[in-house]
Amino acid sequence: MARVDHIMRRACAGALLGLTIMLAPSTHGDEATAEPLTVLSWGGAYERAQQRALFDPFTEATGIPVEVQQYDGGIVELRQAVAEGDVTWDLIDMTRSQAKAACAENLLEPLSPELLAPAPDGTPAARDFVDGALNRCSITHSVFATVVAYRRDAFPGRRPTEIADLFDQERFPGPRALQRTPAVNLEWALLSYGVPREEIYRLLSTRRGLSLAFKRIDSLENLHWWEAGDAPVRLLAEGEVVMASGYNGRFFDAMINRDLPIEILWDGQVQEHETWALPRGAAHPDAAREFIRFATSSERQAALARLIPYGPSRRSATLQVTTHPDSGVDMRLHIPTHPLNAERAITKDDDWYARSHTRINDYFRDALLDERENSDSP
Amino acid sequence: MAGEPETTRANDPEHPTQGARGMVRFLGLVVLGALIGGLAALSAVGFVSAVLWLNDVLLISPRGRMMFAHPEALAIATVLVPTLGGLVVGQLHRAIRERRPHTPADVIAAVQTRRGRLPARAGVLSALSGLVSLGAGASVGQYGPLVHLGASLGSIGAKLLRLGRSDDNVAIACGVAAAIATAFHAPLAGIVFAHEVVLRHYALRAFAPVAAAAIVGHVIATNVLSSGTLFHVTDTAVPRPWEFAAFIVIGGLGALVAGAYMHAILAVGRWAGRLPVVPSLRPALAGAALGLVALWVPDILGMGQETLRFATIEGAFGGLELIIVMVLKLAATALCIGMGFGGGVFSPALVIGTLFGALCGTLIGDAGLAGDTFVFYAVCGMVAVTAPVIGAPLTSLLIVFELTGSYVLTTAALASVTLASPIAAQLFGRSLFDIQLARRGLDLSAGRGRALLQNARLKHLLSQDCVTLNPHDSVDDAVTALGNGGHGEAYLVDDKGRYRSSVTLADLEVMRGRNQGQRQVRDCPRTPRPVLGPEASVWDAMHQLQDVTGEAIAVVDDKAGDAFLGVVYEASIARAYLQYSEELRREEHGTG
Repeated sequence: MARVDHIMRRACAGALLGLTIMLAPSTHGDEATAEPLTVLSWGGAYERAQQRALFDPFTEATGIPVEVQQYDGGIVELRQAVAEGDVTWDLIDMTRSQAKAACAENLLEPLSPELLAPAPDGTPAARDFVDGALNRCSITHSVFATVVAYRRDAFPGRRPTEIADLFDQERFPGPRALQRTPAVNLEWALLSYGVPREEIYRLLSTRRGLSLAFKRIDSLENLHWWEAGDAPVRLLAEGEVVMASGYNGRFFDAMINRDLPIEILWDGQVQEHETWALPRGAAHPDAAREFIRFATSSERQAALARLIPYGPSRRSATLQVTTHPDSGVDMRLHIPTHPLNAERAITKDDDWYARSHTRINDYFRDALLDERENSDSP
Repeated sequence: MAGEPETTRANDPEHPTQGARGMVRFLGLVVLGALIGGLAALSAVGFVSAVLWLNDVLLISPRGRMMFAHPEALAIATVLVPTLGGLVVGQLHRAIRERRPHTPADVIAAVQTRRGRLPARAGVLSALSGLVSLGAGASVGQYGPLVHLGASLGSIGAKLLRLGRSDDNVAIACGVAAAIATAFHAPLAGIVFAHEVVLRHYALRAFAPVAAAAIVGHVIATNVLSSGTLFHVTDTAVPRPWEFAAFIVIGGLGALVAGAYMHAILAVGRWAGRLPVVPSLRPALAGAALGLVALWVPDILGMGQETLRFATIEGAFGGLELIIVMVLKLAATALCIGMGFGGGVFSPALVIGTLFGALCGTLIGDAGLAGDTFVFYAVCGMVAVTAPVIGAPLTSLLIVFELTGSYVLTTAALASVTLASPIAAQLFGRSLFDIQLARRGLDLSAGRGRALLQNARLKHLLSQDCVTLNPHDSVDDAVTALGNGGHGEAYLVDDKGRYRSSVTLADLEVMRGRNQGQRQVRDCPRTPRPVLGPEASVWDAMHQLQDVTGEAIAVVDDKAGDAFLGVVYEASIARAYLQYSEELRREEHGTG
C-alpha cells in the first residue's frame, strides 16, 4: 500500500506540474531558472534524431532544458550509482531486457501507465501501446529489429524472401555474417525448419531444439561472426559477405544515406523494445515523468520515426509516420512495426534470455564457436 | 440406470409441436447452446492457461526448465512434482463416488442411455484432478478433461432450466463441441466430435445448438488464446501417387499401435487393481516412476507438445530415438492413466501416433524413396493412431484440415484412416471409451437402441396387481380368487414371502374337473416359467417374452431368498419398448 500511495502522490504531483506548465506557457522565458533534465542515451544518429524530435520540442514546450549523456547500454554503472546514492541521470533510454533486470534489482522507480497520454482519437494508452510495452519500471517508446540484409547484386534473377533462405547456400550462394551471440541466430535457425514463431522459445528450451538450431547454423559454409554493430554494413559494403544480420537502423543508414546496394529481408525480424526508465534516487522525477508523457505521445513518436527507422510503440503513432523531413524517403517502409514488415516478426523473449542466457551461451560456444575461432571476422 | 420413459402428452416439452411454437422452442435451444458454448469455452481457456502456468511454475515445461538455473534442484523437482501431483490426485478421487475421475466415457454412457444429468460434484472434482495431473506433468491428455468439463456444464445448465432428457443430451453435446472447438481452434471438428462420439446421430434438432456452441467457442478461442494451435504446416509438397499406398499401410499399422496403446492402458488398470497399495496412493507411485524415467527422457513429461512438433521435423529424431521415445511415451501414458491419474488419452495418442508416423517417414526416407513429404507421414501416423483410440475418424480428419488448412494433407490422412478405423474396430472395439464401457457392462456395439433398453430397469413397470396364492390353498379357493381378480394366472408365494411357482386358471380348472378341488394348489402341475430379477432390464424382459405365453412375468429377488416382488405384464413391457424406441426416433430424427 505504501508503494501505491507513493505512486499516487508522484502521479498527482506530475499531473499538477503538467497543469502548471499548460496554464503558464510563459515559463518559456524562464529557461535559465529551470533545472535541466539529464537524459542518458545512446549517442550517434539516434541521439541526433531524439534531439530534434523530442528534446528540443520538450524544452520549447516546458522551458526545461535537456542535457544528454551517452552510454553503451548495460546496468553496471546504474547499479553503482544507486548503491552510492549518487545518481546523476533523471531518465535512461534502455533496452527492455536491461530495464527488466534493473527493475528486478530495484534500481528503477515504478512507472504507472496512468502518466501516459491517450491517443489523439481518445483511445486509452493501455490499448494504444503494443503488447509488452508497459512494464512495471519501463515504458517502451520504440521497437527496433535485428534483420538480415543482402547485397542486391549477389543473386541475379532471384532474391531471398524468407528467413530460411539465409541458410540455403545452394539457391543463395556466398558467405554469411552473423552476430557472435546465440540470440537471434537460434530463432532464425529454428524458423528455417518451418517451426511456427509462437513455438520458437518453447522448442529452444529443449536439448533437441537447440541441437537442431546448432546443426542449421553449423551447416553454413564461410560464416563470419561479427561483434561490433557497424561490422555487418562494412562486410556487405566490401563484398566480404552477401548476407549479414544486423540492426535495421544501421542498414537503413547504409541504404539511404550511403547508397549501398543492399536490401533488408524483413521475414523473421527479431524485435526488441527500447524503453524509458527512471533511475531510483534521481533528482527530478516529476520532470522526468512529464518528459515521458511528452515523448511517448503519438505525435512525438511519429516525429521520431520520421527521422530514424524505429517503430513507434503506439499503434496510433505507427499510422502517422510519413516521409523523412529532409530526404523525403517514405519511412513507413523502413520501420519494423509496419504491417508489411511485421508480418512474420518475432518479439525477442527477454524473460527467457534473462534467465537462461548463461546456459544458452555455454551451449552456443561449445557447439559452434570453439572450432571456428579462426574464422572470426577480420 | 436409464430413466423411465417419459409419459406422452399432447404438449410434452420433450416432443415439441411443429409450427411457430416449435420454432421458438427450437431457437431457445440454439440460444442455450450458444450460452453453454460460451461457458464451456471460457472454462476451457481457463483450464488450458492454468495448465500452462502450472507447467512453467512446477518446472515441467521445457521453457520453465530452461529458465531454471539449478540442475540438481531441477532433477529433484522432476521426480518430486509428479509424485506429489499423484498424491493430490489420489486424495481428490476419494471424494468421488466411483473413486476414479470421470471421463468422456461417462459422458457417452449418460447420453447413449438417455440418462443425462451428469453429476456436478464429480464433474468439478474430475476437472480438478485433470488440472493437477496435467499441471504436475503426468503423461495424460487435456482434451478428455475439457470434454468432460464442457459436458458437465451443459448438463448442469439443462438441469437448472429443468429441461427434458433429450435437451439435456443436446446441452451435453453443446458443451463438448465448444470445448473441442476452443482447445483445437477447430469448430467443425468440435461439431462433428459431438455427433460422432457423444450423440452418435445427426439430427437437425441437435445440430443447430451444437453448431452455435462450437462457433461461440471458436470466437472466444481466437480472441483469447492467441497461440496454442497444434501444428502449422507450411509445406506445399505433393506426395507422389505411390505414397498414398504407403499412407494406407501406415493406417493399418497405426491401428495396431492404437490397439497396443489401448490395451496397455487397460492392462495397467487391471494390474494396478492387484497391487498391494491403497488406490489413493497409486497415482503417486506412477508419478515417481514417470519422474525417474523423465530424468533420462524428458520428452515423456506432460502433454508432449514440443515432442509432437519435433516429430513433424525431419531429422529431429534418429530412427532408434523415435522408437525409444514412442515406446516410453506409450508406457508412461498407460502407467499414468492405468494407475489413476486424471486426464485424457487423446494428446498422448497424438504424440505416439506422430512419432510412429515419423518413424515410417524416416524408414522410407532412409530407403531413398520419399521427397519432401516427411510431414505427411507424421500426420498419417498421427491420424491412424488417434482415430481408433477416440473412435472418431471424421473428427480426426477435420482436426487435420482445420489446423493445417491443407487439403493435400487431409487427403493423405484420409487414406491412412480408411484402413486404421475398420481394422481397429474389428480387432479391439469402436474406441477406448466403448471398450471401457463394455467392461463396465454397457455394450454400445449393437447401437444405442439396445444399449438404452439394456440400461432401462424394469422396476417402474412392476405391478402388484396380481393374484398371489399360498401353496396350501385349495384349488377351489384358487379358482374363486382368480375369478374375482379377473386374471388367468396366479403366483404361489409361501408364508415367508418366497416365490414358489405360478399356476394358470386352465390347469386349476382341469384339476377341478377331475374332482381334485380340495387338493392344495401346490400339487397343481406347473409349467416351468422364467422369472426376472429386480435389476433386469427391459431388454432382458423382451428376450424372456419370446419363450413365455402368459400375461405377466414374475419378478423375484434371488438375492433376498427368492422374495416375490410383483409381476411385469407383457403389455407393459411391449409398451415400454415402443416408448423407448419412439423417444429415440424423435430425438435422432426430429427436426425441431
